[in-house]
Amino acid sequence: MKQRLLSVATLSTLALSLMILQGCATAPTPKAEAAKAPVAAAPAPAPAPAPAWKQGMGPDMASSKLAPMPGKMTVTAASEIPIDKLKLPPGFKIEVWATGMPGARAMARGDDGRIYIGTRAIGRVYEVTDNGKERTNRVVVDKLVQPAGVAFNNGSLYVMAINKVLRYDGIEKNPSVAPVDLTAKFNLPSEQHHNWKYIAFGPDGKLYVPFGAPCNICELPTPEYAQIRRYNPDGSGMEVLATGVRNSVGFDWHPTTKQLWFTNHGRDWMGDDKPNDTLHRMQKTGLNYGFPYCHAGNLPDDVVKKANPCSGVEQPVTLMGPHTAVMGMKFYTGNMFPAEYKNAALVARKGSWNRTQKTGYDVVMVKASPDGKNAKITPFITGFMNPADQSFWGRPAYLLQMPDGSMLVSDEQLGAIYRVTYNKRQVAAK
Amino acid sequence: MQCLRIATLALGLICSSAASFSFAQNISAKIQVCGACHGPDGNSKIVGTPSLAGQPKTFLENQMVMIREGMRDIPAMKGQLDGLSDTAIISIAKFYTASQAISQAGPRDNALFEKGQVISKEALCGTCHLPNYVGRDQMPRIAAQREDYLLYSMRQFRSNQATGRDTIMAASLYGMSDDDLKAIAHYLSQLQ
Repeated sequence: MKQRLLSVATLSTLALSLMILQGCATAPTPKAEAAKAPVAAAPAPAPAPAPAWKQGMGPDMASSKLAPMPGKMTVTAASEIPIDKLKLPPGFKIEVWATGMPGARAMARGDDGRIYIGTRAIGRVYEVTDNGKERTNRVVVDKLVQPAGVAFNNGSLYVMAINKVLRYDGIEKNPSVAPVDLTAKFNLPSEQHHNWKYIAFGPDGKLYVPFGAPCNICELPTPEYAQIRRYNPDGSGMEVLATGVRNSVGFDWHPTTKQLWFTNHGRDWMGDDKPNDTLHRMQKTGLNYGFPYCHAGNLPDDVVKKANPCSGVEQPVTLMGPHTAVMGMKFYTGNMFPAEYKNAALVARKGSWNRTQKTGYDVVMVKASPDGKNAKITPFITGFMNPADQSFWGRPAYLLQMPDGSMLVSDEQLGAIYRVTYNKRQVAAK
Repeated sequence: MQCLRIATLALGLICSSAASFSFAQNISAKIQVCGACHGPDGNSKIVGTPSLAGQPKTFLENQMVMIREGMRDIPAMKGQLDGLSDTAIISIAKFYTASQAISQAGPRDNALFEKGQVISKEALCGTCHLPNYVGRDQMPRIAAQREDYLLYSMRQFRSNQATGRDTIMAASLYGMSDDDLKAIAHYLSQLQ
């Protein structure tokens, strides 16, 4: 579906992927064209190519029934959310903070405290207003193509869909403000697959935007994919900061070094335990993170090959588990949580589909030194998935730290936002 | 289009007296409207109109939401789901998912059937739609669907005109000839 998840690759990509799958030296002729070709030139009919998300699927997995998990597009009432099943370390509490927003993903907080939330398939951006007692929401804009990217800067909301960039100036004061269309300035590429966005403004005031690879595994059809870029807020001054990044949909800046750390999704159909999703650090610009030849810094791809595939590839801060779907991440800088959380990264793992036994479906804490060494992962929120029967009810996707130091967590599956708080007395009570 | 006019008329009548209807009555009236085209039990006898019987509940819910939101644009459905609540959508989905799918296919063309069987297997349709093609979760039942609708729908996906629907399918059908699609449609429509 959706998770609808996955979108179309166009002709050029598929042609390339076909080439990869078949190991051909020349461009393949798709069946439709083969049928029309003159007899003398007619090649043997090509097998039906795999869809974008199945590229690279080996013959040993042809009988697999693994498929993306279904999303839920209808409203879930708070009473239907089994929040009691969630487990956190002692002293932490989690509650349903807002619900009724199917597909809720990344969150951005306005200057006056309104929360803006992006989605994918349902095409909406939500706005949540908190009156101190309860939360209400409205749809700011709908009918967009996967408007997953939301960011707030200088009083303006930025919305980035796959094919559109909109800016809503002063939206908190003027709820019906008409958007400024910035699309032309950003020069968005045409491929949709993996090009839904996470966006955020960095400490340098620039807008950071990832461009995913338009396939599971392939040579890039054009160089503008598998990158992280930054722009001036108006879309000018584009710079490519990193290449070889398969699909990053979450990042944050380290509180002391101000370096960008980002999550990255590993490829599918390479087996249950490889490759890992990863957490990376951009210690400088211009680095290569390996895609498509090298995964997780040291694992050569088995389909797209070249000599010394991992040579010069930047190493990850840590492996995040195979197929776990690492999403949003936030360095904790508040004062509410215990000291050990200060400057540690909380990372949401939405959970696997391309793995026999499910993994992820949790939020973990990654503690590492500021230079990215000695990373250690510990569970923070678990209970969205039941390993015993492989069922799941929620998929944590993004995190947002509130001014009081509490943490919001979005659940894309149920269209809800949970709030995590800490209180020493809750430890004593237990 | 005749059915659409009837459906619209019926909807108007229902809406005019909506206040006196309980939720359950509203749903059953709505299902009657749907049934004018999709068949009273969700097995469509009308060319171009898909069968809804036996479809996975999540698939039905998702499609109704997409149509209501205007993300999936179907001329014959325009306005039909406007203002329909999520609760109503879930109830309608439950009704059709519980209804048994019955193939509406005509006589079998053995050669075409066998060709479709082979291509469906090679194309790995069963990975998502399951080996017996009854669908699951967000992925539709394609067994026992109307042959004309399967062909129409696959052509739409192949040419990237399946606006608002899961773009995975477009990539799945890329490069297939019309003859391939006809064979697949014939084969699947004959299944139960």
